[in-house]
Amino acid sequence: MENFRRFVWNPETKQFMGRTLINWVWISLYYLAFYVVMTGLFSLALYSLMRTLNPYEPDYQDQLKSPGVTLRPDVYGERGLQIYYNISDNKTWDGFVTTLQTFLTAYTPAAQLLNVNCTSDTYFIQDTFDGPNKTKLSCKFTSDMLQNCSGLTDPTFGFPEGNPCLIIKMNRIIKFYPGNGTAPRVDCTYVGDDSRPLEVDYYPVNGTFNLHYFPYYGKKAQPTYTNPLVAVKLLNITRNEEFKIVCRVIGTGIISDNVHDPYEGKVEFRLKIDN
Amino acid sequence: MTPHCTPLTPAAPPQGLGPGAAAERLLRDGPNELRPPRGTPECLKFARQLAGGLQCLMWVAAAICLVAFGIQRGQGDLTSADDVGPGRLGPSRGWAGWMPGCQGGKGGWMVVTYPVQATVIREGDKFQIDANQLVVGDVVEIKGGDRVPADIRILSAQGCKVDNSSLTGESEPQTRSPECTHESPLETRNIAFFSTMCLEGTATGLVINTGDRTIIGRIASLASGVENEKTPIAIEIEHFVDIIAGLAIFFGGTFFVVAMVIGYPFLRAMVFFMAIVVAYVPEGLLATVTVCLSLTAKRLARKNCVVKNLEAVETLGSTSVICSDKTGTLTQNRMTVAHLWFDNQIHTADTTEDQSGQSFDQSSETWRALSRIVTLCNRAVFKPGQDNVPVAKREVIGDASETALLKFAEATVGNVAEQRSRYPKVFEVPFTSANKFQVSVHEAGERLLLVLKGAPERVLERCGSVMLKGQELPLDQQWREAFESAYAELGGRGERVLGFCQGYLEGPGEGLSAEQLPGEGLCFTGLVAMIDPPRASVPAAVRKCRTAGIRVIMVTGDHPITARAIAGSVGIISEGSETPEDLAARLPSVRPRRQARARVLTGAQLQEMEPAALVDALRTHPEMVFARTSPQQKLIIVESCQRLGAIVAVTGDGVNDSPALKKADIGVAMGIAGSDAAKNAADMILLDDNFASIVTGVEQGRLIFDNLKKSIAYTLTKNIPELTPYLVYITASVPLHLGPSRTPGPLPDAWAPPSPDAWAPRGRQALSPPRAAGAMQSFAGFVDYFVALAQEGWWPALVLGLRPRWEDTREQELQDSYGQQWVRLPYAAPIRALCPYRAASHPLYGPSVAPTHPLYGPYMDRTQSPYGPIQTPVWLLHIPYTVPICSCTGPYMA
Repeated sequence: MENFRRFVWNPETKQFMGRTLINWVWISLYYLAFYVVMTGLFSLALYSLMRTLNPYEPDYQDQLKSPGVTLRPDVYGERGLQIYYNISDNKTWDGFVTTLQTFLTAYTPAAQLLNVNCTSDTYFIQDTFDGPNKTKLSCKFTSDMLQNCSGLTDPTFGFPEGNPCLIIKMNRIIKFYPGNGTAPRVDCTYVGDDSRPLEVDYYPVNGTFNLHYFPYYGKKAQPTYTNPLVAVKLLNITRNEEFKIVCRVIGTGIISDNVHDPYEGKVEFRLKIDN
Repeated sequence: MTPHCTPLTPAAPPQGLGPGAAAERLLRDGPNELRPPRGTPECLKFARQLAGGLQCLMWVAAAICLVAFGIQRGQGDLTSADDVGPGRLGPSRGWAGWMPGCQGGKGGWMVVTYPVQATVIREGDKFQIDANQLVVGDVVEIKGGDRVPADIRILSAQGCKVDNSSLTGESEPQTRSPECTHESPLETRNIAFFSTMCLEGTATGLVINTGDRTIIGRIASLASGVENEKTPIAIEIEHFVDIIAGLAIFFGGTFFVVAMVIGYPFLRAMVFFMAIVVAYVPEGLLATVTVCLSLTAKRLARKNCVVKNLEAVETLGSTSVICSDKTGTLTQNRMTVAHLWFDNQIHTADTTEDQSGQSFDQSSETWRALSRIVTLCNRAVFKPGQDNVPVAKREVIGDASETALLKFAEATVGNVAEQRSRYPKVFEVPFTSANKFQVSVHEAGERLLLVLKGAPERVLERCGSVMLKGQELPLDQQWREAFESAYAELGGRGERVLGFCQGYLEGPGEGLSAEQLPGEGLCFTGLVAMIDPPRASVPAAVRKCRTAGIRVIMVTGDHPITARAIAGSVGIISEGSETPEDLAARLPSVRPRRQARARVLTGAQLQEMEPAALVDALRTHPEMVFARTSPQQKLIIVESCQRLGAIVAVTGDGVNDSPALKKADIGVAMGIAGSDAAKNAADMILLDDNFASIVTGVEQGRLIFDNLKKSIAYTLTKNIPELTPYLVYITASVPLHLGPSRTPGPLPDAWAPPSPDAWAPRGRQALSPPRAAGAMQSFAGFVDYFVALAQEGWWPALVLGLRPRWEDTREQELQDSYGQQWVRLPYAAPIRALCPYRAASHPLYGPSVAPTHPLYGPYMDRTQSPYGPIQTPVWLLHIPYTVPICSCTGPYMA
C-alpha cells in the first residue's frame, strides 16, 4: 500500500504515477501528435480508397458468385422459415397477407413507372447509358405478372382457402448472367424421403425469371431496378401436418448445393396448415 | 571435533576385524556406497511444464472456450467452431515448454568414480573384497594407482601421496602420513578420502567413515540439499504473467459488462470475455523465450559453453559476481617453471601454454650447469612414443614439479634423454619429506657428478661456493643476502622454489651410499621457481568482466600466498591494490584498514567470522580472494554474495565445488577437468575449461536479456491490434469477426526473432515503441479491413453501424453499396465470408507476411479456410504501413 502511494505520488522525485509533470505533458503531447498523424494517415488511406473505387461495380465479386434466394412471407421461427397458420383463424394468416401486400407495393405500375417494358426473352445487355441522368434502363416487373398470386384478383393470396401464394425472389448480383441463355426457373419439392410430387402453380408461367431482367448493372446504373419474382401457389396441401419444402432456382451458374450456405440458390421452409 | 587427532585406542589393530564383526557392521551401516537422491520423474516434469504460469492461463482460456463451444454447438450455432482455437493452443504450448525442459533434465546425479576393489586385512589375513563391503574399523591397504576405498585414517605410510584435487581443489599431490597435522579433517595429513586417487607410495589405514558418511558423501548430500535457485528470467516471467493475467481479466471484465449492457446474450458476452483474455495472453511469448534461448545456447555451444539449463543463458547475462575456482579455470592446471635465479639475477621463463612467449638469455655458463642439474636430478620421464607431440602436451610419469622441470628442460635445452644417457646415473637418493632434497650421482668422464635439488635453504646449507657466469665464487655474506632476497621474492609470488647445486666426486660410483655423499662444499648454481601459471586469456577476460561491472572473486582450496599471487597476475587483485596486511606493513599506524581494496581470507579466518562480517568484508573490499576454503565455506561465500543482491556465477571442477555450483544462480563446471558431480550440479559446462569462455557467455547472456525484453515488448504489441477490433466493434458497430481463435499468431512470433547479433547494443530507449507499433498495426489492420470490404462492395460509410443487420440471422438480402444482395452465412457468419482485418492486424504483418499467408492467401479455398480467400491486392495495402511500423519497431530490431 505504501508502495502504491509512493507510486501515485513520489514527493522526492515529484513523480506522479511514475512520471514528473513535465514528463506527462511531453508524453501526452507525443501521443496526441502520434494519434493525429495516425488518424490523418488513416483518413488519407480511406480517402484515396474512395477515390479509386469504381462507383458502378465492385472490384471483386469472388465472395458473391451465386445468388441467394429468399421467400416472402419471411417469418422466422425457431427452426428457420416457418409458415404455420390456421385457415379458420384469420389472425394467424393476416400477417402473411400484409407482408405480401407490402412487399408487392414496389411492383405496382406506379412504382414501376420509370422502367421500360421488355419483350425480348434474351439478356438485356446495355453497354451504354441510355437512361436519364447517365443511367441504364431497367425492365418493368409489375405484380400483375404474378396473375393469381398478384394480390389483385385475390387480396388474401389464397391463404383462407389453404392454397397459399408464396413469393420467391432471387438476390441480385451485378453482371450476373443466370441460366446461360435459358431462363432460370423455380422448382419446389418436398424435402426428405417424401417422394410424392408437390402440387404447385407457378406464376409467371413455368416459374421462370425472364432473362431480360438480367444482368443487373448496380444501384448507380439502374436506380429503379426491381428483382423479378416468381409466385408459388401451393395446392392440395394435407392439413394439420408439417411439411418441409425447398424451392430451388434451377439454371446454369446457380449453385444450390452448398452445405455451408442454405440460402444459396434455394430456400427452405416449413409449412403447416391447420383447419 | 577432531577424532582423527586423538590417539587410537587400542593402538592400531593390525589384524583387523573378524568376519562376524564386519558383517554386523555392514548390516548396521549399510554398504560403502553413495546413495543417489531420488530424481524427479520425467512425467512429473512434463506435468509441471504444463502447469506453469502462462500455461495455466492458456488452459483456463482453452477450457472456457471448449465449454462455450459445447454450449453454442448445442444451440446449433455453427460459428462457434472458432472457439476451439485456444483449446488447441494449451497443449501445444505445454509441449513447447517441455522440450527445453527436457534438456535440463538429462543426466543422473553425482557420479563418483568408485573404487571397485579394496585390499582389507581381516583377522591378520589380506583379502581382496568389493569396496562396498568395507565397514568402519576395517584395516585397508592402499598403493599408488588405487582409489581410496573409504575415508581412512592412515596408520602407516611409505611415501604415500594422494590427489585431492577433486575434493579440495589443490592441484599438488598431498602427502599422507600417520601424524595429525591439522584440526580440520580436510587439512590434516592422516586422513585419505574416499574416491581420491593414491598417486604413489603405500599406506595402511583404518576405515573411519563409509558410504554417505564419508567427506565426499557429506558434500554430495550437501549438494543435493541445496535447492536450485530460480533464475532471474523465471522470476521476471512470473511477474509478467501476473500483470498480464490481471490486465486480461480487467479488460475482459470491462468488455463483458459493456456487452451485457448493449444487450448481448450472456453466453455471447462470455465468449467476448474469453476472447479478450485469450487475446491478451502472449501465447507467442513462451516460444519466443525458448527459441531465443535455444538460439543463444547453440551459439554458445560453438564457443565451448554447453548450456544445460536454457534459462541459465540469460542468468549468465545478469551475473554480477563470478566466484571462480583457481586451479584449472584461471590457471593451466600444470606446474610450469616460471622463474629462474642464477648469476644473481631473476630470469623469467616462458609460461604460455603454447611456448610462444619470450625466453631468457641462455648464453651463460651457469645456465648450462643449471640446466644439466635440472635434467639429471629428475626422476620423471616422458611416456614413450610421443616424439611428435609438443613438449607441453606430452604425458609424463612423475610428480608435478619434476614434470615441470622435465618439460622445461626439454623445451629449453632439448633432448633430455640424450643428455641423461651421456651422464649415466650411478646412484640416487630420492626426495623425502624429512631431508627435503634429492641427490643423484652421474658418471662424467673420470669423475662423478653429484647433482642435488631441494628446498633452497637446505640446498644452500650444503654449498660452499656459488656459480657466476660459470665461475665458482666463494659463498660470502653478500651472496647469502642475494639468495635470501631472491628466494623471498619468488616465494612471495606464490611460486614453489627449488634450489640446485652440483659438485664433483672422485672415484668409482659403485657401492656409494647416502652417508658417503658430501654434506657440504657443493657449488650452488641457482633457483628454479614453479607455479601453476594463469591461462593466457584470463587476464583479458578478467579485465573485460571488470569493465562490464562484474566482480571476480577467487575461491580456492589452495594456499593463500599462491592464491594471492595468481589473483595478482590475472588481475583479480589489481596492481597497486593492497590487502589489510600490506597496509599494516606499510603504515602500521592506520587503524581501521577498511580502505584496503583487496583482501585475502583463508578458510580458517572464515571459520571465525560471523556471517555478517563476511558480508561486510565482501562489501568493503572489492577485490576478494578466498584461500583454503572448504566446500561449506564456498557455499557460505556464495550465499553472502547473494545476500548483497548479486547474481552469482560459480565456476568449479571438483566434487567440493558442487554444492556451491548448485547454490549459485548459475553454476559453471569445467568440461575437461570437471568431475561428474560438478557437471551435474552446474547449469553450464565450459568445454575448454577456460575462464574467458565465461565472459563470452556473459556477453551472449546480456545480449539475450536485451533481446528477450525486446521480444516480449514486441510480442505484446499484438495485443493492441487484437483488442482494438473489440473496441471498434462495440463503439462503431462495425461488423467484425470476433472469436477467441487467432490461429496464425504464435509461430511467426517465435520463429522470426531477428538475429540477436543484429540487435542493437543497449542504451537508447525509444518512446514506447511497442504500444506505438501496436496502434499502427491497428490502423493498418483497419485500413486493410475497410479496403477489402469496399472492394467487395461494402463502403466504409455503410459499414459503420452495420453490425446489427450484418449479424441478423434473418437478414438474407442485405444490400451492399452497389445494390447487390447478400445472404448471411451461418458458417463464418458475421463476416459474410470476409475477414481481412485479422490477417492484416497481425503484428508481424509488415515484416513477415508469409507465415500467415497460407490461411488467408488468395489461392486457398474456402473449405480449408473458413474466412475464404482474400484478393491479392489487399496484401499490398499494408506496405505503406510497414514503413512506420518497422521504423518504430526498428530500434528494437535493427
